[in-house]
Amino acid sequence: MGSIKRIVTNKKVCRDCQACVLGCSIYHEKESNVQLARLKIIKDMARYEFDISICKHCKNPKCMKECPSDAMYLDERGVVIIIDEKCTRCGACQENCPFDAIYYNSQKNQYIKCDLCVGRENGPLCVELCPVGALRLKQKVEG
Amino acid sequence: MAGGWMGKMLYIDLSKGEVEARVSQPSIRSYIGGRALAAHLAWKEISPDTDVYDPENCIIITTGPLTGTLAPTSGRTVMTSISPRVYPKPWYTHSTIGGWFGPQLKYAGFDGIVIRGKAASPVYIDIRDESVKIADASDLWGLDARKTQLLLKERVSQEAQILTIGPAGENRVRFATVQHAEENAAGHSGFGAVWGSKNLKAIVVHGTRGVPVAYSDTLLKEVTRIREQKYSNLLGFLYDKGDHKEFAACSQSCIFDCFGNFYGYMPDGRRVPANCIGTSWTVAEEMHLTKYSGGGIEIPSSNNFGLEKEVPLHELCNSLGLDLWFRLVMQPWFIRCTQLGITEIRGYPIKPEDPSWFENFMHQLASRQDLGDLFAEDLIRAMDELEGELPQELIDLGREMEFNFGFPAHREGRFWDEEPLPFWVISAMMHISASRDPGIGHHLSSLLLAELFLNDQDLARKQFRILSEKVWGDPEAYEPNFKGKAPVAIWSQHQNMIIDSIPLCDFAFPQLVYPFSDRDTWKRSEDISGDLNIDLRLLSAVTGERFDREQINRIAERAFTLERLMLARAGRSRKMEEQLASHFQLPCRADGTWMDKTAFLRLMDEYYTARGWDLELGWPTEDLLKSLDLDEAIPELNQLRMQFAGKK
Repeated sequence: MGSIKRIVTNKKVCRDCQACVLGCSIYHEKESNVQLARLKIIKDMARYEFDISICKHCKNPKCMKECPSDAMYLDERGVVIIIDEKCTRCGACQENCPFDAIYYNSQKNQYIKCDLCVGRENGPLCVELCPVGALRLKQKVEG
Repeated sequence: MAGGWMGKMLYIDLSKGEVEARVSQPSIRSYIGGRALAAHLAWKEISPDTDVYDPENCIIITTGPLTGTLAPTSGRTVMTSISPRVYPKPWYTHSTIGGWFGPQLKYAGFDGIVIRGKAASPVYIDIRDESVKIADASDLWGLDARKTQLLLKERVSQEAQILTIGPAGENRVRFATVQHAEENAAGHSGFGAVWGSKNLKAIVVHGTRGVPVAYSDTLLKEVTRIREQKYSNLLGFLYDKGDHKEFAACSQSCIFDCFGNFYGYMPDGRRVPANCIGTSWTVAEEMHLTKYSGGGIEIPSSNNFGLEKEVPLHELCNSLGLDLWFRLVMQPWFIRCTQLGITEIRGYPIKPEDPSWFENFMHQLASRQDLGDLFAEDLIRAMDELEGELPQELIDLGREMEFNFGFPAHREGRFWDEEPLPFWVISAMMHISASRDPGIGHHLSSLLLAELFLNDQDLARKQFRILSEKVWGDPEAYEPNFKGKAPVAIWSQHQNMIIDSIPLCDFAFPQLVYPFSDRDTWKRSEDISGDLNIDLRLLSAVTGERFDREQINRIAERAFTLERLMLARAGRSRKMEEQLASHFQLPCRADGTWMDKTAFLRLMDEYYTARGWDLELGWPTEDLLKSLDLDEAIPELNQLRMQFAGKK
C-alpha cells in the first residue's frame, strides 16, 4: 500500500499575491527571491490569467527517467526528489519536465524543485499561505 | 545580519540623459523608506522655488525595507512630487501604489528612483537589474496605459512590472494618474501630468535578485500567525460572511480577504480586479452614496449604468489614466446641473446619466478636447472659470465637493462616507494639517471605527473607552464630543506615516482593532484592541535591526514635519487652512453635528499646539525642529517667515 501526495492547482482563483512563491523562497533559501522558489506564478496580463508551475509528482516521472546520473528518486510519499550530490547539472530533468516545474538556481548552480516541504510539520508552506485555495494538498492512499 | 534594504538609489536626469546609481545609506536608515524617505529626499532635492511643471520638479519613487518580502501587504511603492491637482497652487504631496512594481524595483537592486529634468522627446526608463537606460518612447506616446504595459511586457518580459501614464498624463490633466497593472495607481495627486510634462511615458523594471531577509524563520512565523486572521479590513466582520466570495488582491504579498476588493467581468468574461473606489464602478451599487442634503448643499445620487457598461468604463478610466475618484464628484455635479435646468455648458451638451455621453466625456477629459479641456483642470478650477456663467449654487457645490485643496471630499462626515462625531473632528484636524486628503492614510487607523459606532453605539462606546485608555491613556479619546482629539489625529498621522514607509497597506494596518471574523465575537468582546506591534516585528525580522516604538514614532514625526516644511515653502499657512471651516459648518450626514467657525479655530489651536507649531502660521517652531534634529531647516524656515511677513 502506498500513498500519493501532490499539490493540485486551481489557476482560475489565483490572484497573483505571490505569497506561495515568496514563502517557498524564504523557507528553502532564506531569501525573498522569486527566482529561488520551487514554483512560479506567471501572469498573462492580456487575459488576466495565471499559470501556476509546480511539480505534479508524476507516477512515472519523465524527469527521473531521463536523468542520466540516477540523481532522482520517488520517495515513500510519492514525492520526486533530486539528490543534489549525484546531480551533474546536465539539465535533462528540466528539459523533460512537461510542466516546466524544475528550476535552475544559478546562484548555487543547483537544480531545484518542489519537495512538498519535506519535514515541515504543517505540510507545504505554499498551501498554508495561499489565501484563495489555488494550491491544495491532495493525499490519496493506494491499496 | 542586515536585510530589507538594497542599498542603492537611482538618480535620473532626463534633461541630461544621465543615470547614476548612488549608495542610499545612511539616510535610508534614518527615514526607513517609503513616504518618510521621500520627504527627506524632497526637502533636499526639490529647490524651494520649484513649480509643478518646472524640469527641476522631481518625481520621487521609493520602496521600504519590507517591499518585495513576504510581509503581508508589503508590495507597495510610494510616489511623491509637487502635485498639479492641489488648489489654489501646487505643492508637494504623495501617493502610495499597491501592486508589484516596488518589489520588482528591489529585485533589480534599487530602493528608489529620483527623476528630474525633462526629456527632449518622449522616453521611457528601462531597468533590467543594473542595466538602466533611457529609451525612446515615440512608439508608446499616445497609447493608453493598458496597451503600453502589454507592449512593454512583450518587449521586456512577462515578469516585468511597469508604471505608465495614459493619454491623460500626456495631456497634463490635473488628476491624471500613473498607472500600474490593472488598476493600481498613483491616483489622486495628478502625478501623471508631471510625468507628461517631463515627456516620461513609462518605467519598466525587471529584476532577478532577491531581497535579503535577516531572520527568515521569524518572518515566516509572524506571517503564518497573521495568516490565521483572514480579514484585513475590520469592516468585514460587520457583514455576513459569504456575501462576497471573491476578493482581488491589490498588492503583492497580500494574504487577506479585503472587503474593499472584488472582481468585475468584461463582456467577454475576462476578470477585472477592482480595488477600493474601483469597486463602486464594477461590482456594487455604491454610487448612490454620493447623495447628500444639508446646509444649502444638495448632491444628487450618482448614477450607476449597470455592470455590463460599468466594468468596461472602469477599465477605460484606468487605461486613459484618469483618477477613478473624478467620477464621484463630477457625475453628481453634472446631474445637479441638469436638475437645475442646465443642459449645456459653453455650448456643449451635458447628459451625465447617459453612458455614451459619459464615455465620450472621459475621452474628452483625457485628450483635453471640448468640454473635457475645462474639466481637465479639475472641478474646483472649473468652478473659478465658470463663476458668473452658472447659478451660484452649482459653483458653491463644486467647491464643497473638492473643499480640501482640490481633492475629492470624503472621510470628513459629509460626502460619500459616514463618520459621526468624534470621527469627523479627528478627520478635520487631519485635513487642516496634511498635504492632501487624509483618506489615503486613515483607512484602518481610526475612521473605520465609525462603522462600529454606527452599528451599535452603546457597545462601541464601552469598547472604545477600554481601547482609548490602552492606546492613548485617555478613556475619553473616542467619546462623541469635540474635546481632546488632537492626540488621536496626530497618532493616526504618525502611524500612517510608518505604514506608508515600511511599507504596509493601510487597509490592514495598524491593527488598532482586532480583525474579528464575525459580528458575534465582536459583540461579545470587551477589549477589541488589536496588535499594534506587528509593524515593528516585521521590520525587525526583515532588517535584523531593532526598532522600538518611540524611535519609529520619532522618525514618523520628523518626516511629517518635513512634509509640513514643504507646504510652508509653497506658502501654505493658517489663513488657507481656516478656509476649510465652512465645510465643517455643513451638518454631518450621520448625526447632524457641525461646528461654527469659532469652534473650528479653537480646534486648529488645539492641533497646532499639540504639534508644536506656532499659532499664527501653523509652521513648526524652532524648538520643534531642534528636538527632531532638523536644525538644518531652521535658516530656511526663518527666511520663509520673513518673506511671509513682508507679503502681509
